[in-house]
Amino acid sequence: MNFCLALIAAGVILTAIKWPFKTALFPLVIGVSVFLMAGAELILSLMARERKASKQGTLDFQLSEGMDAAVALRRTWVAFGWIVGFFLLILFVGFSIAVPLFVFSYVKIHGKEKWGISILMGVFAWVFFYGLFIRLLNTPMMEGWIFRGLRGIGIG
Amino acid sequence: MEEIFNAFIGGLLITLQLKPFLYMLIGVAIGFWVGILPGLGGGTTLALMLPFIYKMTPQEAFPFLLGMHSVCATTGDITSVLFGIPGEATTVATIVDGYPMAKRGEAGRALGAVLMSSLVGALFGAFYLAFTIPIVRPLVLAFGSPEMFMLVILGLTCIATLSGHGKRGLLLGMMSGGFGLLCSLVGQDRQAGILRFTFGQLYLWNGLSIIPVMIGLFAIPEIVDLAVRGTAIAGNVTYGKLGKGVMEGIKDTFRHFWLTVRCSFIGSLIGTLPGLGGGVAQWVAYAHAAQSAKTEEERAGFGKGDIRGVLGPGAANNSKEGAGLIPTVAFGIPAGAGTAILMGAFFLLGLVPGPDMLSKHLTLTYSMVWTIVLSNVVAVGASLLFINHLAKLTTIRSNLINPIILLLCFVGAYTSENHIGDLIVLLVFGGVGYLMVRHRWPRPPFILGFILGKLAETYLYSATTRYGVAWIYRPKVIILFFVILAFALYPYLQKRFKREVISEPDKI
Repeated sequence: MNFCLALIAAGVILTAIKWPFKTALFPLVIGVSVFLMAGAELILSLMARERKASKQGTLDFQLSEGMDAAVALRRTWVAFGWIVGFFLLILFVGFSIAVPLFVFSYVKIHGKEKWGISILMGVFAWVFFYGLFIRLLNTPMMEGWIFRGLRGIGIG
Repeated sequence: MEEIFNAFIGGLLITLQLKPFLYMLIGVAIGFWVGILPGLGGGTTLALMLPFIYKMTPQEAFPFLLGMHSVCATTGDITSVLFGIPGEATTVATIVDGYPMAKRGEAGRALGAVLMSSLVGALFGAFYLAFTIPIVRPLVLAFGSPEMFMLVILGLTCIATLSGHGKRGLLLGMMSGGFGLLCSLVGQDRQAGILRFTFGQLYLWNGLSIIPVMIGLFAIPEIVDLAVRGTAIAGNVTYGKLGKGVMEGIKDTFRHFWLTVRCSFIGSLIGTLPGLGGGVAQWVAYAHAAQSAKTEEERAGFGKGDIRGVLGPGAANNSKEGAGLIPTVAFGIPAGAGTAILMGAFFLLGLVPGPDMLSKHLTLTYSMVWTIVLSNVVAVGASLLFINHLAKLTTIRSNLINPIILLLCFVGAYTSENHIGDLIVLLVFGGVGYLMVRHRWPRPPFILGFILGKLAETYLYSATTRYGVAWIYRPKVIILFFVILAFALYPYLQKRFKREVISEPDKI
C-alpha cells in the first residue's frame, strides 16, 4: 500500500509540474508531502525488527478474525463477485429489473433460503425501490444497455 | 436585553402556533427518513422542498425547512450504528464505535446514546445560536484564508493522531489524510479551470462525488465482512439483550455529560465558522472524546465500541446545525451546503440575511432556534419509540439483510449524479476501502481529507496569492500551528508523563 501511494504521489507531482502555478500549487504541496511520508513509512517498515509489528491497531473497523483463512478468502471473493454482479446486472438490464432479480438470486442461490422467502424478498425489494425512488421521489433510474440497444434498433 | 427576551419568547409562541407547528412536524417526518436513507442528503432534499414554500409565510416556511434539515443528522446516526453505512456525510464518525457496538449486540445502547447525545447537542447548538449572535461577529470575521487553511490541517491532524495506534500511527493517519486530499484533486481546479486527472471523462469534470466515495469506502468492506462471517450484524446475540440497552445508552449520555457538552461546544464553535461544517466537527469531537481516555488501554478501546466514541460525534454533528445559522442569518455567509440552500429560502420569502434579521426580524430568528429545539425533541422521541424495532434489524441473518443493504448502497450512490459513473466510483472505492481495512490503514482521515480537499486548496491559494509566503508568519497561524503540534504530540507526551509518574511512586 505504501509503495502504491508513493507511486500515485509521484504521478501527481510529475503531472502537476506541467501546470500553471495556481493549478499546480496544491497538488505539488500535497504530492510532495505524501511522497515523503510514504517513503518514510516504506523505509521504517523495511527496517522494523518485528515484521509482525506492522499489524498495528487502528481507530477503525477491523475485519473479523478467528476464521479459517482459506474459507475467509473464498467468501471474500464470492462477496465481491456478487457486488460486481449486481453492478453488471444494473448496467445491462437497468435498476427496475436488476433490483428484484439480484435480491431473489442472492437470497436463493447464495443464502440457500426457501423459494417462498426468496420470492418475498425479491418482491419486497422491488416494491420498496419502486415505491420510494420512482413514485415518491421521481428519481430517474437508468434503463440498461440491453433495452437501450433494443430501442436503438426500433424494438420497444 | 428586554428586546432580546421578548424576541426569545415571541419566537417560541410563533413556533407553537398551529400552522407553523404542523409544517414543522411534516418537515421532521421528511427529515427523519432522509437522514436514515444513505445517499439522500439533507441538502438535496432542502433544495427539493424549496418550491413548496412559495405560498407559505416566513413563520411557516422556516419551521418546515429547518424541521427537516435539523433532524437529518440525528437520524443519519441510526444507519451508521445499525449497518455501518453513513446516513449522512456528517454521520461517518459515528460508525467507528457505533457499528462495533451493534456487532457485539449493543445496538440498543449505541442508539440510545447517539439519540440522546444528538438531542443534547441540538439543544446546545440552538441556545448557542440564541445567545451568541450579538457577540460572534468579530470571531467570524477574524478568520481569514490562512487561518482557515490551518483549521483544515488541524482537523486532519486531530483525527490522524488518534486514528492509528502504535509508533507509526500518526504517520499512517497523515498518509491516509494525504491520500484523501489527492483524491479530491480530480476534476476542474477552481483557480484556472484546468482539468486534472479526469482521463477524458466528462463525469469527472466536477470531481469525485462524496456520496459514492463515502458509501463505497465505509459500507462495502462492512458488507463483505458480514458476508464472510455469515452471521447477523449482532452475531449470535439474542434480541432480549438488544432492547434493554436503550436505557443504558441514555444513561451513558448523562454519565459522560460533560464530555457530551464539550463535544457540543466543539461542534458549535466549528459550525460557526463558514466552510468547515460537519465534516470537521464530527472528527474533532471524536478526537476529543478519544483523548479523554486516561490510559493507553482505554484509548485502544476506541474504534472497537467505546460509548464515548458515539457520544462525541453524535453531539457535535447536531450542535453545529444551530451554530451554522449564525453566519448564515447574521452575515449572509452560508456555513455549508445546506445553509447555502436555506439562504435561497430567505430570498424567496423576501428576507435578506444580515443586520435586519437581528433587529427587525429578531423574533423570526429566535423562532428558528425554537424550531431546532422542538424538531429534535420530536424526532428523538419518535426514534426512541421505534428503537427496539430498529435494533431488531441487527439480528436478521446476513443472507437476508445483505442484499437490502447493497440495494440501498447502490441506489444511494446512483442518486448522487444519476450516472453510471457513480456506481463505478462506488465499486472502486469499495475496493480501496477494503484494502485499507485489510492493511490497517485508517479510513477516517482519508474521508476528511477528501471532503476538505477543495476547501483547503482554495484557502491555500487565497492565502498565498494575498500574502505570499508571509501568511505563515501571521500570529493566528502561528498559534494554530502550535495547537496542531500539541494535538500531534499529545498522545506521546501523555504516555511519557504517565511513565514518569509510575516510576516515581513516592513523589508528592
